[in-house]
Amino acid sequence: MVSWHEMIARLGRWFSVAVGNFLYATGFLLNIGRQSLPFVRHRGVARRVLVMQILFTAVEAMGIISLISVGLGAVIVVQGLSILPKFGQGKLIYTILTIVITRELGPLLTAFVIIARSATAIATELGNMVVSHEIEAYRSVGIDPISYLAVPRFLGVTISSVLLTIYFNFFGLFGSYVVTQFIKPIQLQEYFQNLLASMTVIDVVSSLVKGFVFGAIISFSAIYQGLKVRVSTTEIPQVAIRAVSQSFALCILADAIITLVYYL
Amino acid sequence: MDVQIELRNVSLITEDYSAIEDVSVVFPRGRSTVIMGPSGCGKSTLLKVAAGLLVPDRGRVYIGGRALMDLSERQMQEFRRASGFMFQDAALWANKSVYENLALPIEYHEPGQPASATRRRVVEQLRTLGLEDSIDLRPAQLSTGEQKLVSFLRATVLGPSLLFLDEPTTSIDHTSLERMMQRIEELQERGCTIIAVTHDAHLAAMIANHLVVLKSGRVLEAADVAVVRRSTNPQVIEILTQVLSDAAAYDTDILDLLGDGDHPSQ
Repeated sequence: MVSWHEMIARLGRWFSVAVGNFLYATGFLLNIGRQSLPFVRHRGVARRVLVMQILFTAVEAMGIISLISVGLGAVIVVQGLSILPKFGQGKLIYTILTIVITRELGPLLTAFVIIARSATAIATELGNMVVSHEIEAYRSVGIDPISYLAVPRFLGVTISSVLLTIYFNFFGLFGSYVVTQFIKPIQLQEYFQNLLASMTVIDVVSSLVKGFVFGAIISFSAIYQGLKVRVSTTEIPQVAIRAVSQSFALCILADAIITLVYYL
Repeated sequence: MDVQIELRNVSLITEDYSAIEDVSVVFPRGRSTVIMGPSGCGKSTLLKVAAGLLVPDRGRVYIGGRALMDLSERQMQEFRRASGFMFQDAALWANKSVYENLALPIEYHEPGQPASATRRRVVEQLRTLGLEDSIDLRPAQLSTGEQKLVSFLRATVLGPSLLFLDEPTTSIDHTSLERMMQRIEELQERGCTIIAVTHDAHLAAMIANHLVVLKSGRVLEAADVAVVRRSTNPQVIEILTQVLSDAAAYDTDILDLLGDGDHPSQ
């Protein structure tokens, strides 16, 4: 039987570790942020890592993003056009498209794709590099792993998240137009006029802000977890899982907060 | 004695045990120090602490009289630029080719160099150890010995004045070993400070001016080779006998293997 004293002591230890981890993570984030600002002036070798990261996270994910966005747009159109006209609210389909694709699911589904592809890849790659002493090797030749490995990945994933969110919006809204042609043919001009009429600047800004915030969250979680590996390869899948679950949880939380701010 | 690196009362605890404990040792400038001791006694840890790759839990490391922790970012960069580290497991960057492994330190520290000049320099380096045909291979495509040779070249590609070698000769064939020894001798002649961890009696005999004998994370003896050879400390004799045991089969006096530390950099 555990005594009260022991329970309080355990709670204290847990709290102390949690505060320590939080402060460490905050310091780590600030360090990445501090080194991200002057990145443009950095040496070319790190810029190459940034380009490769954008290539992997954004360009190589365009196929799956196209499929998801067109599919989502199609589902909304099919469902909407079969129900809404019965209530004389056929035009509401444009508002629903804007809310679901641009403001809510576009950024979130894009984030999920990035988590599945890039968060796991980054956490695993960095974890492997720690175990095989590659991080130490970078330090031994004077290359700061934060500026050379972490910052380009942080910026690359964040930029890619914003770009993919725009791409998702474009494809989702355009895809829904294509599907509309099979159900209730409509002129392209009329479709986009109605769509733009239902869309506000805040919708677009909200979408981009979410893309940016989600990208920053995912990249930071993946880098932080990857570099937390210490000595063993068995830690690598563990940190990859942690990077994924942490990214999911934080993105959902951030999404709720940003949406709440939108309606306040 | 001109001291390049000094460790004062340094301890490092990993996974709840002391890897090195209360170590105070100096590494003289322009000379070659060999760290010897049984496996697991903390030699590699000591080397990494001296190179600033591991931060000690207690004690301080001084580089040219200045505490390592107090160096500014720029001074740290200069220290790294002037030093090279060869890892025991090579630690090559797996997602880069042999060329990229050698070119990256050049591109990072000497920005603005034309790519053709960097390539020429890398090819020259590879040629010295007979690895020019492996230039486009990935580390996983090389043998362990070849990986170590590339690791040695990466450590020396910027022409360091301070070189850390962690078991540099293991898994390397005789011809490559001779070429590597030649490079090490050239560096010694240029006044490069070398700190090496090795079990290889012949390497120790060839390069050591100064010897550090380690046991269970503690320094038993740290002095010029001639002094260590005359040591009456039974633990020092026992460790050197153990460490040099392979070579002992051919020599009646095992400590004679170490010579008397009379090398070019003296």
